[in-house]
Amino acid sequence: MRAYTPKDDVQKKPYYTDRYWVAPQVAKSDVSEDEVFAADLEAIKASFEVLDAYIQVGQMVVVINATDNFGVIKMLKNEREYNQLSELSAIDWLAQEGKFEVFYQMLSMSKRKRLRIKCKIGEKESIESVEKLFRSADWSEREMYDMFGIVINNHPYMKRILMPDDWEGYPLRKTYPLQGDEFAQWYEVDKIFGKEAREIIGPENRDPARVDRYDTERFSRLGHEVPRGTDITQGEPDTLIQYQEEGGAFMIEKFDAQKTVTISDRDR
Amino acid sequence: MAQHQVNYLKDGGLPVALTTIDKVVNWGRSNSLWALTYGLACCGIEMMASGASRYDFDRFGTIFRASPRQAELMIVAGTLTKKHAEFIRRLYDQMTEPKWVISMGSCANTGGMFNTYATVQGVDRVIPVDLYLPGCAPRPETLQYAVMLLQQKIRRESANKSQKPKRLM
Amino acid sequence: MQQSNRLRPFFENITFDRDDNELILNFGPQHPSAHGQLRLMLHLQQEQITKAHPDIGYLHRGMEKMAENMIYNEFMPTTDRMDYIASSSNNYGFALAVERLIGLEVPRRAKVIRMMLLETNRLMSHLFWLATTALDIGAMTVFLFAFREREYLMDLIEDYCGARLTHAAVRIGGVPLDLPDNFIADLRKFLDKLPENIKDYEDLLDTNRIWKMRMENVGVISKEMALSWGCSGVMLRASGVEWDIRKEEPYELYDEVEFNVPVSDKGDNYARYKLYMAEMRESAKILYQVIDMYEGTGPELMAHAPQYISAPKIDIMTQNYSLMQHFVLVTQGMRPPVGEVYVATESPKGELGYFINSQGGAYPYRLKLRAPSFWHTGILTDLLPGHYIPDVVSIIGTTNIVFGEVDR
Repeated sequence: MRAYTPKDDVQKKPYYTDRYWVAPQVAKSDVSEDEVFAADLEAIKASFEVLDAYIQVGQMVVVINATDNFGVIKMLKNEREYNQLSELSAIDWLAQEGKFEVFYQMLSMSKRKRLRIKCKIGEKESIESVEKLFRSADWSEREMYDMFGIVINNHPYMKRILMPDDWEGYPLRKTYPLQGDEFAQWYEVDKIFGKEAREIIGPENRDPARVDRYDTERFSRLGHEVPRGTDITQGEPDTLIQYQEEGGAFMIEKFDAQKTVTISDRDR
Repeated sequence: MAQHQVNYLKDGGLPVALTTIDKVVNWGRSNSLWALTYGLACCGIEMMASGASRYDFDRFGTIFRASPRQAELMIVAGTLTKKHAEFIRRLYDQMTEPKWVISMGSCANTGGMFNTYATVQGVDRVIPVDLYLPGCAPRPETLQYAVMLLQQKIRRESANKSQKPKRLM
Repeated sequence: MQQSNRLRPFFENITFDRDDNELILNFGPQHPSAHGQLRLMLHLQQEQITKAHPDIGYLHRGMEKMAENMIYNEFMPTTDRMDYIASSSNNYGFALAVERLIGLEVPRRAKVIRMMLLETNRLMSHLFWLATTALDIGAMTVFLFAFREREYLMDLIEDYCGARLTHAAVRIGGVPLDLPDNFIADLRKFLDKLPENIKDYEDLLDTNRIWKMRMENVGVISKEMALSWGCSGVMLRASGVEWDIRKEEPYELYDEVEFNVPVSDKGDNYARYKLYMAEMRESAKILYQVIDMYEGTGPELMAHAPQYISAPKIDIMTQNYSLMQHFVLVTQGMRPPVGEVYVATESPKGELGYFINSQGGAYPYRLKLRAPSFWHTGILTDLLPGHYIPDVVSIIGTTNIVFGEVDR
């Protein structure tokens, strides 16, 4: 019987995990340990619902409701001096809980602090754009849409950014295979030569370990180059490494005092 | 006033060398390979380095041109992605005959380390390639060696016939 | 089979719209002065740009997806290909992120060597920036000069790790090798000559009339715009924000060395050019101090953490348990604790950040690469309108974007 492979997460997994393995946790500390973060958290709590908050590796993580994202970031920008949105993207938890986790990585230059706002949205839900607060979100949100298929509300230019416009599928979802689905694998052939050329060109060679030593059509060994199609099963000759062919370039080779005819008589 | 003293009819005569048209044309072609600047990724930087001061590509007659109409050699230096594939084909079609292609680096040869959804697994799926240059990224010396090999290949070809249609993989 | 007419030629480069006399010009993706595969759709009113749409993704190679399918150490060479002008700074950013996740402390000698690599890479990157930008603007001599110096730096790096461009010279938990014999002497020789070289470039460019016309008051980025677009590095400092992660959130030994952060409030191309030149001098200053630090360090190069890091080679070859542990770490990979980390480092281009979400497995659950060039390309949307076509080239030049990083 074939081994069952789950379809909702096709990423590579370790082939063996000890059944008693318990992964350690990165320490989470309480927000009250840091005065600056505690004050920020108080400010957020005053007007928005905070689901969870902790400090991890020196940065505060605040989990909020997805509907509050614009309000929280606006408040952090205008009142709490978080003046840059350095990163914005999502994590795919569809297989586990059917949700995306969107995170906003923010930086306050005056306080020298970084915090991360997180919220979860469902697969078919959309999230409000923060492009009006930070222009950098313009492209990040487009990238998020491109990679995960998360639709952004009120975005000025909601189009794919990294992949071509006519691409199908969202590459960073866990259901998307690393080497692409059928559409991805034939994309350039379909586009340039048409679908009918698929048979002539043939499928991609995705096996990096496949090397045919005797295939002179595509490979030659450096220093042992031979013309295409030569049979090298008996071993190939060394290629002389030199600037010109043996005996120099043709023009010079031809001009030899002994072999040339000197024409002295014009009327000959 | 300097007088031109050589009498071609008497003293040694006119220097004449006999050769074939093929060889003269190929001599010219192979020694003035104008390459299209086609730096796609990391290998493009090494391609620039081979054109710059230390490696000095110009002494082989290889001068980089920005327009496909003026170029006869396409050095595909770097990863070709699926989004870019149609452009490489269009630029290849725009180059005038005779034209040659060097696929520089692992990514251009076979997709290399980028065995992902977004990369074309070898430019030879899109355009025919004359010479594959291994390495990630190949050193400028390797590129120079590749161009010299290509020159040898050109010298073997017949000049007046149109090129044989090259095979795609 | 080759149907050359399949892609029908059409005049995609130029579109005339008869009504409002607007011209749409396509710039790239194969354009020698686009610094890679940038495609710009420029709406023109005569020669003035009214709207710009940068189109990226022509070098999108799926690195984030690759990271999810690779063990941590396996991903290290892939980071080389992000900002391929200064590979070690990418290696370093990734190594630092994983080290913070695990909570590793790196031996001092490894720190010193990392600092050397980082700063030589910064020099390489800035020299390359100068060369290409000057070439785009037409100063061929500067291109040849700067590449000459860059080759010496590449020789140094090659002495250290064997590669010119893609170094993979940093490991998680330290560095793989000690410095080769003549490295410090060669580096010192190079540094002694560097001020002269920088002066050469400045003599050629600083008061050059064409250079100034192409650079001064072109591409002015205001402070608000730079902050809002997530700019970092020189792009931010040229707009009057004094923010250098090496200074503000020091990593490695940056809190022990003395250096200045050059800042300008002009925000134009010329300011950025001056900052790059000043940063090169500062890098040289840091390198001199780091060279002096090297003497007093112990011989350890890798952190000691048997759960995550392989033992030194000599132990692997002689001791059974080290060999087994090495085998497990290579075939299955290390398993960092469950958690998230975002670590920003100051790469030559700006804030290079790695966001790692680990679920305790051998593969990262999500790895987001925060590459500075991505937003430096994005800012062209707002920056280009109002400028003329020739300015496009000089503005792209001074943003110092590298497409391996933009598209990842």
